[in-house]
Amino acid sequence: MNSTTILFGLIAVSAILAGLLMFRPSISASRGGKILAFLAVFVLPVLAGTGGLSQQMERSKDTAFCTSCHVMQQYGTSLRIDDPSYLPAAHFQNNRIPRDEACYTCHTHYAMFGNFKSKMRGLRHLYVQYLGTVPEKPVLYEPYNNRECLHCHSGARNFEEGATHNAEDGRLDQIKSNKLSCNTSGCHEFVHNVKELAGMKLWTPGAKPAADEDSTDSHESTGEEKK
Amino acid sequence: MNEELTPLEKRLRLASGLVLAGLIVEALTIEWHHPVAFMVFLMPGALLLFVGILVFLISLVSSPSQTRKVSEPAESVQSRSQEPA
Repeated sequence: MNSTTILFGLIAVSAILAGLLMFRPSISASRGGKILAFLAVFVLPVLAGTGGLSQQMERSKDTAFCTSCHVMQQYGTSLRIDDPSYLPAAHFQNNRIPRDEACYTCHTHYAMFGNFKSKMRGLRHLYVQYLGTVPEKPVLYEPYNNRECLHCHSGARNFEEGATHNAEDGRLDQIKSNKLSCNTSGCHEFVHNVKELAGMKLWTPGAKPAADEDSTDSHESTGEEKK
Repeated sequence: MNEELTPLEKRLRLASGLVLAGLIVEALTIEWHHPVAFMVFLMPGALLLFVGILVFLISLVSSPSQTRKVSEPAESVQSRSQEPA
């Protein structure tokens, strides 16, 4: 039995009891009726509401949830760009992030109350989408913080010992302290680039790779290498 | 439905009606996978639940003497509530 079934059951029981009380409020005169009223109008609705909120919050992490708004659709498509130098595409296609929570995994804040702040930003997105004016080109509320990358990459061998990350003395420390952005020009600069999406070749999951294509299993090339 | 209700029962009816409406909205949004569902869940759904529960809790702490005994007819409670103190 999954959580949705349990929640549906809880809502059904709560609704039946609340309906009973609505049509026969006089049953609350007895002690048993009072207990029933307390359960029907307080305990069960609180449980059902909390369960529903929790489920809605979990669902709001889905990639499909984010990309269901028109303005975000092209960002969802950019996850399938067939070019390993594109950072989100390489992460998405190589399962470095969970595909069904791709947007959330990279755009949440891995800090105290980060999850809560992400939800608040999400509510702001919803407000703009349905009640405000959607900007032509959405921009981040604040510059992307390396902390979100380091949540997974910190301590990883290919990050700590990577030749480019250690090319100069102190570069690794600069990256770790967010003084040098991972998305700096010449590093992992190719992100969503939705403006150039029209001419891009897209990857189709499950499609047979062409014989002459390089494997995308290797680490994505940086902008520096590409140039 | 036509019986005379005490003020507490009237509030209980209102509270359970609001909770029922909130639960129906919640049930409708559970399987709806869209940001609009999230808004609908929060705005009418959670709000109705919250107001319903609030009305119920307020009704518990107000008008404590106007509850009816199990065997007592509705009219006697009405007349008792109208008696001068």
